[in-house]
Amino acid sequence: MKRLRAIRELSTVAILIAEVLFFAWYLWPEAGRAHPFLNGENALLILKYSSIYGIAAVGAAVVIISGGIDLAPGAVIALASVIVGHFFVAEQWPLAPSLIAGLSIGVTSGLLTSLLVVMVKLPPFIATLGVMGITRGVAFIITEGQYYDVSSRLPSGWQPVGVPIDWLAPIVMFAMAIVFQILMTRFQWGRSVFSIGGNETAALFSGIAIGRVKASVYVISGLLASLAGIVLVLVQGQGKADLATGYELDIIASAVVGGASLAGGRGSVMGAVLGTLIFGVLRNALPQIPGATFYDRLIVGVVVIVIVVADQLLLRRSTKS
Amino acid sequence: MSLQFDHIQKSFGATNALRGVSFEVAEGEAHALVGENGAGKSTLLKILAGLVKADRGEMRWQGQAFAPSSPREAIEHGIGMVYQEMLCLPNLSVAANIFCGREICSYGRLDETAMRSRTRAVLDRLSLKIDPDALAESLSAAHRQLLQVARALAFDCRILVLDEPTTALTDAEADHLFDVLRELKKGGTTILYVSHRLPEVFRLCDRITVLRDGAFVGTFTTADVNTNDVVKAMVGRDLPTRAKDSDPSGRAEARRAKADALVTRRLTFTPSFRDINLSVAPGEIVGLFGLVGSGRSELLETIFGLHQPASGEIQLDGTPVAFRSPRDAARAGIVLVPEERQRQALLFNLDLRHNLVIPKCTLQDDLLINSGDECRDAGRMLGDWRIKSAGIDALPDSLSGGNQQKVVVAKWMATNPRVLLLDEPTKGVDVGAKFEIHEMIRQQARAGLAVLVVSSDLPEILALADRILVMKEGGLQGELSALTATEEDVMRLATHDMVRA
Repeated sequence: MKRLRAIRELSTVAILIAEVLFFAWYLWPEAGRAHPFLNGENALLILKYSSIYGIAAVGAAVVIISGGIDLAPGAVIALASVIVGHFFVAEQWPLAPSLIAGLSIGVTSGLLTSLLVVMVKLPPFIATLGVMGITRGVAFIITEGQYYDVSSRLPSGWQPVGVPIDWLAPIVMFAMAIVFQILMTRFQWGRSVFSIGGNETAALFSGIAIGRVKASVYVISGLLASLAGIVLVLVQGQGKADLATGYELDIIASAVVGGASLAGGRGSVMGAVLGTLIFGVLRNALPQIPGATFYDRLIVGVVVIVIVVADQLLLRRSTKS
Repeated sequence: MSLQFDHIQKSFGATNALRGVSFEVAEGEAHALVGENGAGKSTLLKILAGLVKADRGEMRWQGQAFAPSSPREAIEHGIGMVYQEMLCLPNLSVAANIFCGREICSYGRLDETAMRSRTRAVLDRLSLKIDPDALAESLSAAHRQLLQVARALAFDCRILVLDEPTTALTDAEADHLFDVLRELKKGGTTILYVSHRLPEVFRLCDRITVLRDGAFVGTFTTADVNTNDVVKAMVGRDLPTRAKDSDPSGRAEARRAKADALVTRRLTFTPSFRDINLSVAPGEIVGLFGLVGSGRSELLETIFGLHQPASGEIQLDGTPVAFRSPRDAARAGIVLVPEERQRQALLFNLDLRHNLVIPKCTLQDDLLINSGDECRDAGRMLGDWRIKSAGIDALPDSLSGGNQQKVVVAKWMATNPRVLLLDEPTKGVDVGAKFEIHEMIRQQARAGLAVLVVSSDLPEILALADRILVMKEGGLQGELSALTATEEDVMRLATHDMVRA
């Protein structure tokens, strides 16, 4: 099984590399001109924008592996950005407590989901659909159609802990990916998540505290979504209620492309992050192809299906032998 | 000239599931197919049902070469399958279940009236009093099993193939099934009956074909052989018929002298059971017999903390305990090997190593996983419990039922429990593994473990237990000493009122 998991992550990496090579070849410029895709600046741009999805996808992967689903991350990203904006700009708080307030809103929404899933026993799809609406709604109520201009209060050239702002998002994403990859594979808690996703009844009968573990999964998803939200505020400089609209589906798609099974019990955090990079490259490169502008959503959709089908064929072959 | 298997071969990867099996099921007979788990029975049935294709060899059905490429094709040729897992659509009506996939339509619309009346006709033929409009989920296990028989009959099957149909049935329900099958046989239906339970096979079948390790061992005429002959053919060796301790009475006395490990006082969980007083001493194996619906599984589950008792008390080593979850119970030293290992005990997405060590490290609240230690522990458990597998990286799917069950017992014994609760410990387990599991339970009891075992398999409970408690309709009906009790005594207690009425 370990071998299988390794193969799965390698294949995601292979897809990413193939994708980069394809666009490098396809967009190869005429002699003497700079490559529009294959340059350091563009790579950083891809990383920066993928990171918002990637940080939240770490949480989504954990939820999906546990056999659940979380539809709220997009809305939580928006609400976290609004909360940071509200306290930092409107209330003139210092930055650090404003950011903590942003994170705490993610924990709160995660706790609400946990309550609905674990105590009220709602299906996660319904519970998080509701939480998504509530969260987005609160963001609109707070902003009343306005937005908070966070960048105006940030000193120009501001570097949190000595890191250029553009580097911040990718660093946070990779840090979270590594932390949760280790938590999921090397810690008791992560194994409980896999167990519950594989067979919840058997997990209960095995003495796993399934309520506690399921609750933790949604809190983590909320926390990571709000982390993505505050990173987005710092990168873009705005706190807005309609940020990250529709991100929840892209985030879920990333986790699935990275090997997570919506049936639960299978997948990896690293895979999910790689999945967001696959989409990040697509979103970056497609608009640069002349005439492809209107095709990018279609191509993204086709890519999701192709990768998941290929994954299933691979899995079927490896379990047969 | 009915159904012939001619040198059927099938391998999955490196495993040879069938190595050239040839035998014949004659028209109009009831033919049994027996063998331990892994003997190749299921693979053969899958080939017959059109689920998998044979690598080599051919089947002949009424003289014609027959190789169905889909279950639908098999059904159209008159093969009626009754699967062990009782495939049914719980959310649909009885009639919808029977006609699923072959609905009667008129002008493109479902003809509910026709389906209902034909359902009624088939149910009558089986003398079943079921409403065609009832939801399948409202049926008892036995009726759901018979629903599959009805489904096969509705399609005019020429041969009815039953795979372990009595696994989930009580004896009375199984009797009804046999009556039905005998009637069908009289009416000319050929029956291929796959089972572990030899007494059933002897009651019903004319001939018995034995498979072992994917190979054909022989076909016997039932009248010419006894159970021992068939068991010998199945396992390839003799088994002691009753592997009981030589001096259980003396040992039982010694055990009774010790303070009880597990005691329940007037334990009640409405509506499943009420006022249950029982005790299990360290080193003692107490059998709990009862029919399906008697509340026996719920009793074990309540002791294990899955349900909160309405009233009454559970004591562990003389101290009252109240568990809010299985986790609490397991921490305190009470563990349960549940009835349905596939659904309730094994994690099919994780390898054996994880399955084996999860309870132990979950209960210890270890934060970090120590891979080296785990691999060593898991490897040792595979050896200690004689679990046949490809190693600790194997998935539970690849194990036979008996070895899966050993994994479940082993994972709990690794937590050093005080009390072991077993619910149908050898359900769907072949004869050889059953014997091994019994011996392992006895060994654990000798080492001081208190064991409470629920089983609806009478010979098992008589062979294993020191004392037998009988449960009926949620109450304890009485206690018997396993030394003197016979199957009839136990059954009489369990069904007392039914007999009188």
